[in-house]
This record gives sequence, C-alpha cells and structure tokens, in this order.
Amino acid sequence: MKLKEVDRTAMQAWSPAQNHPIYLATGTSAQQLDATFSTNASLEIFELDLSDPSLDMKSCATFSSSHRYHKLIWGPYKMDSKGDVSGVLIAGGENGNIILYDPSKIIAGDKEVVIAQNDKHTGPVRALDVNIFQTNLVASGANESEIYIWDLNNFATPMTPGAKTQPPEDISCIAWNRQVQHILASASPSGRATVWDLRKNEPIIKVSDHSNRMHCSGLAWHPDVATQMVLASEDDRLPVIQMWDLRFASSPLRVLENHARGILAIAWSMADPELLLSCGKDAKILCSNPNTGEVLYELPTNTQWCFDIQWCPRNPAVLSAASFDGRISVYSIMGGSTDGLRQKQVDKLSSSFGNLDPFGTGQPLPPLQIPQQTAQHSIVLPLKKPPKWIRRPVGASFSFGGKLVTFENVRMPSHQGAERQQQQHHVFISQVVTEKEFLSRSDQLQQAVQSQGFISYCQKKIDASQTEFEKNVWSFLKVNFEDDSRGKYLELLGYRKEDLGKKHIKEEKEESEFLPSSGGTFNISISGDIDGLITQALLTGNFESAVDLCLHDNRMADAIILAIAGGQELLARTQKKYFAKSQSKITRLITAVVMKNWKEIVESCDLKNWREALAAVLTYAKPDEFSALCDLLGTRLENEGDSLLQTQACLCYICAGNVEKLVACWTKAQDGSHPLSLQDLIEKVVILRKAVQLTQAMDTSTVGVLLAAKMSQYANLLAAQGSIAAALAFLPDNTNQPNIMQLRDRLCRAQGEPVAGHESPKIPYEKQQLPKGRPGPVAGHHQMPRVQTQQYYPHGENPPPPGFIMHGNVNPNAAGQLPTSPGHMHTQVPPYPQPQRPQNGWNDPPALNRVPKKKKMPENFMPPVPITSPIMNPLGDPQSQMLQQQPSAPVPLSSQSSFPQPHLPGGQPFHGIQQPLGQTGMPPSFSKPNIEGAPGAPIGNTFQHVQSLPTKKITKKPIPDEHLILKTTFEDLIQRCLSSATDPQTKRKLDDASKRLEFLYDKLREQTLSPTITSGLHNIARSIETRNYSEGLTMHTHIVSTSNFSETSAFMPVLKVVLTQANKLGV
Amino acid sequence: MREPVLTWCVPLELLCSHPLPVSAFLKTQVKLYTYRACAGKDEMGKMVSVINTVDTSHEDMIHDAQMDYYGTRLATCSSDRSVKIFDVRNGGQILIADLRGHEGPVWQVAWAHPMYGNILASCSYDRKVIIWREENGTWEKSHEHAGHDSSVNSVCWAPHDYGLILACGSSDGAISLLTYTGEGQWEVKKINNAHTIGCNAVSWAPAVVPGSLIDQPSGQKPNYIKRFASGGCDNLIKLWKEEEDGQWKEEQKLEAHSDWVRDVAWAPSIGLPTSTIASCSQDGRVFIWTCDDASSNTWSPKLLHKFNDVVWHVSWSITANILAVSGGDNKVTLWKESVDGQWVCISDVNKGQGSVSASVTEGQQNEQ
Repeated sequence: MKLKEVDRTAMQAWSPAQNHPIYLATGTSAQQLDATFSTNASLEIFELDLSDPSLDMKSCATFSSSHRYHKLIWGPYKMDSKGDVSGVLIAGGENGNIILYDPSKIIAGDKEVVIAQNDKHTGPVRALDVNIFQTNLVASGANESEIYIWDLNNFATPMTPGAKTQPPEDISCIAWNRQVQHILASASPSGRATVWDLRKNEPIIKVSDHSNRMHCSGLAWHPDVATQMVLASEDDRLPVIQMWDLRFASSPLRVLENHARGILAIAWSMADPELLLSCGKDAKILCSNPNTGEVLYELPTNTQWCFDIQWCPRNPAVLSAASFDGRISVYSIMGGSTDGLRQKQVDKLSSSFGNLDPFGTGQPLPPLQIPQQTAQHSIVLPLKKPPKWIRRPVGASFSFGGKLVTFENVRMPSHQGAERQQQQHHVFISQVVTEKEFLSRSDQLQQAVQSQGFISYCQKKIDASQTEFEKNVWSFLKVNFEDDSRGKYLELLGYRKEDLGKKHIKEEKEESEFLPSSGGTFNISISGDIDGLITQALLTGNFESAVDLCLHDNRMADAIILAIAGGQELLARTQKKYFAKSQSKITRLITAVVMKNWKEIVESCDLKNWREALAAVLTYAKPDEFSALCDLLGTRLENEGDSLLQTQACLCYICAGNVEKLVACWTKAQDGSHPLSLQDLIEKVVILRKAVQLTQAMDTSTVGVLLAAKMSQYANLLAAQGSIAAALAFLPDNTNQPNIMQLRDRLCRAQGEPVAGHESPKIPYEKQQLPKGRPGPVAGHHQMPRVQTQQYYPHGENPPPPGFIMHGNVNPNAAGQLPTSPGHMHTQVPPYPQPQRPQNGWNDPPALNRVPKKKKMPENFMPPVPITSPIMNPLGDPQSQMLQQQPSAPVPLSSQSSFPQPHLPGGQPFHGIQQPLGQTGMPPSFSKPNIEGAPGAPIGNTFQHVQSLPTKKITKKPIPDEHLILKTTFEDLIQRCLSSATDPQTKRKLDDASKRLEFLYDKLREQTLSPTITSGLHNIARSIETRNYSEGLTMHTHIVSTSNFSETSAFMPVLKVVLTQANKLGV
Repeated sequence: MREPVLTWCVPLELLCSHPLPVSAFLKTQVKLYTYRACAGKDEMGKMVSVINTVDTSHEDMIHDAQMDYYGTRLATCSSDRSVKIFDVRNGGQILIADLRGHEGPVWQVAWAHPMYGNILASCSYDRKVIIWREENGTWEKSHEHAGHDSSVNSVCWAPHDYGLILACGSSDGAISLLTYTGEGQWEVKKINNAHTIGCNAVSWAPAVVPGSLIDQPSGQKPNYIKRFASGGCDNLIKLWKEEEDGQWKEEQKLEAHSDWVRDVAWAPSIGLPTSTIASCSQDGRVFIWTCDDASSNTWSPKLLHKFNDVVWHVSWSITANILAVSGGDNKVTLWKESVDGQWVCISDVNKGQGSVSASVTEGQQNEQ
C-alpha cells in the first residue's frame, strides 16, 4: 500500500541503514523532463515520517544544483551515528562527472555542500555502487567500457578493475558482490555482464546467454550466495530476469518471465533474499522470489512506467519507485488499508477549501461521500509469503514456577547453501533458579520444622548471626523451646535469678552480724510523745491511729509493720499512703510489684529501660496478662522514633508470641522486597509460631492479614524458584483470602500430578461462563445460573471414577443445576466434591440425605503427607476455625461442646476423607476403616459433621479398656505435677499438656496407633508408676525416633514436657 | 544430537558464506568451537537447567511457545501453519492437539485465564485470529476473527478481571480488541492507524484499581482502568487507555527506539505503585520504562543494553524481577535489576564471546 508520494521526476536514494530517521534524497533526473520543461535541477532531501498519516513527505532541504543526474546513491562512508544525517551522497552526472555531496550540509542549508567532484569519465555516469565492506570504495561506470574504482579518501585518482572490455560499450549497471568484498560485476545494454576480481585486477568471468536480446537494465548480486546474481533485460522481446550462478556460467540457473514488456529496474532486498523487486514497461511493479520464480506481490500502481526502484535499507517493508509521470511513491509491501489515508486526504481537502463553503456562495457543500467501491478496493493484501523479517526465529518466555520456555531455530549445516535447510524444532523448558541461598535456607528451615529440631536450628542461627540484634532475636526464639523460658528470657536480658539470690543471701549474712541481740526486758512507754501515743493506740487496738501516727512521724517501716497486723484493708491503704509520700527512685517499681500493676510500669517506664521493664514483666506478670504486657511494651518501642528501639520491639513480640505484630514490626524495619530479607523474617515467624504452638496453647491457626500476605509472598518467591512443593507447604492453608486460594490452586495444578492427599484447592475464582462456538450440547451449560460458583479444573481428561461422583449427592441443590450434558461439564468442571464455602449460600447443608456426607471434610484438614505441609498447620482449636469459616452454619452449641477436642497438629494424618477425585489420590480404602467401621455411630474424628450434619449429636467412643490405663496414668501424673508446681508458667504448660493429650486419647479410641507406639506408651506408663521418669524419657525418645513423625507429633512432644516436669518436680 | 542446553548457536551457514578471507574464516571457526566447549560450563548452565526438551515435530520454524497458567501445558506455533498443544507435566511431552486452521505462518499463541476454561488464541500471517477451545477433551476452533487486512503479529489476553478480552496487533497498522459478550458472540473494537505500517506487539497492563478497593461499593465490579501497550514499525511504543465511553484512546507515546519496536512487555504487578514496561527493538536496544506516578503518567526510559543484533522478544518472570531477552543471534539472556537500580545480566551467556559474536552478528545484520 502506498505510504507517501512526492511529485518529482528524479533519481532517488535512501539514507543508509544506520541512519535514523530515514531520509530519501532525490536528484533531478537527467533523462526526463518534467511537465514544466524546466531545465533547473535540484537535490532534495525528504524525511520519511511514518507517524504522520498523510501522503506528503516532509521536505527537509533543497539544494539548487547545476547538474542533472543519471544515478544517485547514498553511502554510509564516515557515518556519524550521532548526527541526524550523515554519510555521503554520490551522484553520477551527464558529462562524465561524479559529485560527492555532504547531506548534513544540505540539510543545514549550507551553500558549500560539494565535498569533491571529478569528471574523469566519458559520457553520462549511469552506474554507481558502494562497497558494503569498505564503504570508502565506490565503483562507477560510464561510456566506452569505463569502470573506475574511487577511494573516497583519495578521490583524485581512481583505479580500474582491469583492462577495458572490448568492444567499448556503455556500462549501464555496476554492483559489488554482497559476500566477497573484492568482486565486482558490471553489465551493459549489449547484454554482457563481466565479473571482476580486484585482487587479480582482471575480469574473471563473462556472463552472457548469447541471445543478443538481453539488454541489461539491472544487475544485482544475491545477498547471501556469493556466486549468484540476476540480470534484467529491458528488451520487450525478452522481458526476463535471469538468475546466474557463476559456477555454472554457461546458461542461466533460472529465468523469471513475469513481465510482459522490458524491465527497467530491479532491486534485491537485503533483508530477505527471497524478495526481488522489478518494474517494467508493462507498468507493473512485481516482487518475486528469484529462488523460485514465484511472484509474491504485485504493487498496485497507476499505469505509468517506473524507471527506478529502491528498497529502503532501514525499513525492510518500505520501497520507493520513481515513475515517468514525475512522481516518487513510497510503498509498504505489508498491505493494509488505505481508508485512513483517504479520509485524511478528504479532511485536508475540505479544510483547504475553508470548511463547507469554499466559494463563499452561502451554500455549504454537500458532505463528501467516498463511494463504496473505493472502500473495497482500498484493502491491499500483503505479500503472499511472509518476509523473513517478521519471522521470529527465537523466543524465551517465562511461565509459572520459574520455568523458562525457549526455542531457537537452529539451521543445521547443509551443503546446499541457502537452499532449504534442515531444522530442529525443539522447545526447551528450563528451570531458572536465581536465589540459591534463599532456597537452601528455606530447605534448612523446612528440615528443622520436620525434625522438630528447633533448638539446634536456633542455636545454628545464633552462631551464624552477624549482628548482636540478630543474635538476640534467635536467642529469644530458642528460649521458647527450653524449659523455664521466662527465667531464660531474664538471663538474656541480663538478670540471673541465682546471681541475685546469692547477692541477697550475702547481704542478709552481713546484716545478721549487726543484728543486736534481742531479748531482755523493755519498757512500754505511754508518755505524751509520738512513741507514747502510738503505744496508747496499740494498747487500745487502734491500728489505724497507730499507723497514722507512724506515718505522720515518717516512721514508714513501723507503719507498714503495724498495717500488716491491722489487716488487708489497712495495709493497702497504708501502702498507698506510703507510695504517695515516698520519693525514692525505685518507688514506682516497688509500687508496681506490690500493687501488681505492671501495666503502669510498661506504660510509663522510660523506653531506655525497656529491658528492665520486660524483665519485670517476665518475672511477675500473670500468664493471662503476660502476652498483653509484652505486646504493650513492644508497641511502645515500635512507636518510638529511635530506630534502634523499634527493632527491639521484635523481642517483646517474640516474648509475647505475637506473630502478627512481629511481622509488622519487622517489615517496618527491614526492606522486605529482597528474597533473603523475606527469608530472614519467615524463619523467625515460622519458629515463633512453632514455639507458640508448643508453649502457649494459643490459637495460632488464624493467620493474620499481614502474615498471610508475607507468607504468600514467600510462597510466590519459592514458586518462582521452582520449589512448588515448598511453596505449598508454606502457604497459609486456612485463609479465605482469594489471592492465597488462587495461588494454592495454581501451585497444586503446577505440581503436575497432584500429590496424593493434597487437598484440592478451594474455589480460587468464580467460574465464568465459557464462550461457545456453536449451540448444541453446550447450551445446557449456558442456562446454569451464575450463582453456582464452580471451581475450575483443567484436568477434565481424567474424569473421576464413577463411585466418586458425589456432587449431586453432596448437594442436591447443585444437582438440579448441573448441566444436562455431563460430558461437557466434566471437561471444564469435573464434579469433585468441593467443600464449598457456605457463604455461597447454595451449599447450605441439606437437612436430609446424609449418607455420603461422611466424605466431606472441612477446609482445614491436613493431608497425611508430613514432608510437604507440616509447617503452617493449625495447632489450635479447630472449632474456632471452623466456626470462623462457617459463620452461617447452624451449629448448635451443644453439638459443639460434645465435639471432640483434638487439636490439629502439624502433619497429623487425618485421613483424606475427601479425596481429590479423579486424580490418583489415595485408595478409598485408606479412609474407610474409620468412617464405615462404625455405622451409625459417629466417630470422634469426623469433623465433617459440623459442616454437613449440624444437628447430629456426636459422642466419643470409649477408650478401649486395655489402654484406659494410659489415660489414667498420664492424667494422674499431670494432676500430681500441677499440685506441686508453683510457677504459673509451668502450670500453664501442664494445663495445656492435659488438653493436648486428648489427641492421644482420640487415637486410642480409634485404635489408629501402631502397636509399637501403644506398647511403648504402656512402657512409659509403667515407668511413671514407678516414678522412674528418666526411664520414661528414654522410652519416649525411642518411640519418637522409631515411629512416623506425623503419627505421633500430636501428643509425643507434650508427653515429653509432662515427663520432664515430673522429673524436675520430683512428684 | 545437540546438547539441550540453553545457549547460543551460530547459524553455521552464515559462517560458510562469510565475507572474510579463508584464513580469517578458519580462525572464527576455531573460536566458535572454543566457545561452544565452555558454553555448557558457564554460569547460565548453573542458573538455568533444561528440565524438558519437547520435540514439537513442527515442519518449519517455531515462532512462539507459551505455557498455560499452571505451567503444565505448552502451546507452540509455527510457519508450518499449525498450533500444537502438549501436556508437559512431570517432564513428559504428550501431544494433546494439533490445530489446523490457519492458512499462513502462525506468529503467536496466548492462553486465556483458566477461569474461562481452556482457551487459546493464535494469530497468523493469514490475517486471522483464531480462538481455540477445549470441549469434551478435544480442541476445536471456537471463533475466527478476520478483521485485519494484513498479518496479525501479536495477541494478548487482558487481565482476567476484565472479562475475556483479546488485543490483536496487525501489520495493517491497526489494533483490534475482541470482547466476549456471551453466547458465542465477540464484540470488536478497532483502533485504526495505531502504528503506521504495522503493530508488532501488544501487552496489557496488570489490573489496577484506582484508589482503594474499600471505596468500591460491595458487590459491584471494581472500576478498573484498562490499559495496554503496543509497539510498532513506527519505532514507537504507544499506551492506550479505555475511556469511560468505552473508546480506546492513545494516552502516551514513548519514543526512544530508532527502529521497529519488536516487542513490549508490561511487567506483572507486584503490589508496588511503579509501573514497568520492557521494550525491545530492531535497533538492538532494550529499554525499561518506568512510571512512578500514575497520575502524572510520565514514563522514563532506562537502557538495559544495546545488543549487536535485533532483539525479538522480552518476557518478565511472574515475580517481575527477571527479564528474559531473546536476540536474533539465538541467544537468550536473563537480566535483573541490581540494588542500585542498574540492570545486570545474570546469565553469563553474553560474556567471553569477543570477536566471535561480533563477527557473527555483523553477518546477520547484513542478512537482515
């Protein structure tokens, strides 16, 4: 399609490929007169501005020349890449002259634009070409077989390629070889072409078909194949293009006979050797493949002949053609619609005519209408064959999971040169891992979590710590896993109980030395002085007055002592008065200690003394307020301007076990965008969560928004490094946040074959209706109400086994909505029994039809795969989670209370009651024993009843008699420990332990424990009865080391705590 | 067998017809082998390891290869006019579909988000865009868009939040936007003269909601601002925005390239306010464009690198921190922004080639 046009009868030359922007130089043609018969000549430069949709070309400069031109070329010699325009314009004149112009000076408007000039040639210089390897070399041809080689550095004296050919003839074309720099070819209208070797300084071969009809108007070397060239003939009797291979120079390799009349010019694309332009006296411009002879494109032209045609070197889709009607047109061979251009022209026309009333007649012109026919013709089709420059040969695209998909089109070496080559058509999928350290640290963390080796992990971290703060943090975290954590915290803060105790004892000893020996008699004086008054008051039992008197006399010690005798109320009042009076520095501390008002200390202490405040809290605070106080202190530190103190807030949060705030504080202090700094955070968070789970019996199952964001960011990073399994393990699994659910879904699918027991992800996005190509069986699908939020499953090709299709059963409401064409449905949405979120409404538990619901499973159930997903499992109270997730589920309280208490520990093998169907999940029998084993009698572990059978009363099975002894023994031991334990922390631990042992009892009820474990437990129980706790601990270690972690992780650590405590307390 | 290593390969045929004297040619070849010998050991080899080599059995050049959302299926397209889909889970390569329908080389394929089902779009030199869809386990043509007058060079699905919208860029200079309106119907909007003599690439901006999500009335669809970038033969990158009346308007022109823009890639959103676009060009340059302030909409370019050859394709990693750049010399390099904001090549493929790469690329430039 035509892009631009200029009304000039001129020779044309594009700026070299290096030049940006693209210019087109035109020099008045010597052969034709234009319509004005003007003899003036000029050299003009136009800019090709494709962003301007108009057909006009922007003229940049005009230089009035005294010459007319037979040939104009633009060489890249001394190309200055910085300037807008550079190189050299080389013109062949009428009288044997060659003129060099500086295009930058022409554009600048200089008068002196000629660099050099030489008129050594005889007759018009019709042929010019620049050597593409040495751009200072220019070949020229004129009459009398004259060929000169010019060195632009030494323009005065040209060289010759060898002796002149005989007989003397005009040189119409000249061309340097495109592959071998010292080879040159020339051709003349007589039809002969000569190939010169400049190193030998002689013609090496003459090419002619001896027909005498080849009047050479064009000559071009193959861009790729050194030995091939084409010759075009202007003779109407032989309007052909001959392709020659110099290796077989006896006859043309191929003859292109696409023109009906003589060919005036040819141009071979440097960008694609399969594109050869030719224009002839049949007024056609053709683009053909000279390697096959096929015509690929015919340019839509007017009926005028073109005498010159040029590819744009920089923009391979653009060409220009100069026609005898005095016009240079710029075309694109990529086709396209010219409607836009036409419209522009129309617009321009009407604007030139002054709106709608150009002639001032008072009557506006009727609106211009473009005939329909024109519009149809305006579409210009592109080349039949895609040009090489749009065939993308290489690509690399990232995909999910850090995978890089690459392909390259490697051409194998072939003997046929540019002929069709064999190619390999492979696509490579590669794993890109850029964060090695991040991955290895993540690995270590996972291992630590799996092996429960928290203490050693923390210790390693302490040892490897670069900063004091980092060391502190890890020390604090480590303490969480040790006994007497508060004491250890104190030590870390620099307070050792023992040290203080020693000091105190020492002082006491010293004091005792000075104590006056008591005994003897004393006077009870009732004189009028204070002593007397006090005595009187005491004698009358009036403690209150006595205390008042003492206070009045500033006898504080006496006052307090008396107040103690006077009872609690008096004591309290006295204390208050005392504190009001006392001004000592430590008064407030004492106040807090006595009044148990730690909030006061935490709220008002100087933040420089945060360590002391924290120490005090650690020592005195009650378990129920401990966390809150640590939190409070942390918050104060965090709000402090001092960045050093801000970071210390993390320590407080660690003591408090407040994961969410730790995340917030840490994020504020650190640049979280780098994978390693995120890793730093996640390590601490994961360890802290574990610690909290072990010690504080807090509900750690809920994941805060911030933490969830961080964890999913972390999972994303892991996934981006290809660690899909690890990413799944770290992803919070009990959140309804859509982005996390989407990520989970994506991770699960990305794993390829979903791991057995891995839970199917939850509705990550609302299923959309699908586009249909046609009606038919699909129609039913369309009628589905939108309310049915389906989950997308791509594995439609694996329809679930028939026995597992329970969608309809699970949800009769949904069944009615299922499409009538099951085949189609299953393709897109296999009916896996999805635990739908009740918020959706449509999945409210049905009152009837409870048979298959045993296979339902709430979302927080964990797969029995300990390796991949133990980390973020909920350990807290599953009820609360479930209630959270199902606020609308009508669960009566009674059913809740009778609900079993087992806590969900990491990796506990809750058998996949609900399997990801259709994927090679666990065999159904795996889950059967529990479920079907007791028909009618609900089993302790069937959580799903809350969801699907809210009204069903759930009762626990009894523990088998032979194991009942375990329960009684352990419970008894805990009771004994509790009664002798003094430390509230220990008590709390024990309380928690007794709750957690419910897990064990549940397992005993279900008889799911392996015989080795149960017998081991009995051994422990026996050792408890003999109070040989260390032996019990040894057995404990033995069980843990020999059994499956996931099987015992729920209760064994707790049992160890109990045994350790019992040993320590000596009960 | 070729070593399935992601490396650099010289089209030997270029060397065979290389314009240097014979002695120089031999020298080049020796160097070439030296390089090849160490190519497997370089850094890239450690960072990037081939885990699956898929023999596509395409009968001609491959032009695009894209994985689906989950990274489990691979779609390829070729000059042999076919589109193929492979199941590549667990290192396998099972041909799922061999899609015939295009009458010319197929340039690009694009997977729609799985929430709409299994849908693949392809575009071809035959001026058509075909939307393929899996139904009952078999892939079939679902829709054909023949609204372009020249080669369709690029297709890109909009973020799934907007619905099913496909942008197509064509050599006729136009960009068309196909929106699925239900019942098998697609609505077409066309931007004429988007890029004179051709649009080479389109890439959607990630879905961003102006203001806070909380401001949106619940239940209503958030009021997304739809944007995409395009690159073309006018050396420009243009940013387009959908106006409130549903019309597409040119919002910004990004000028830095001095030759055709071959590809543009809008980086995925990672929750930062900065928008980033990568562009590559025939001129060998790769630019990273950033816009820190969405309201002012000022974009500043940073030159990532100037290669010796045309750069065909740029692709962001999902986490938007690594850019894969594919050059005309069959080379793939990975780039990452360093802490000081400089883009560094983290794959070592580019290093230590010296004159070999220089001479080879020169040869290719001539060819181009």
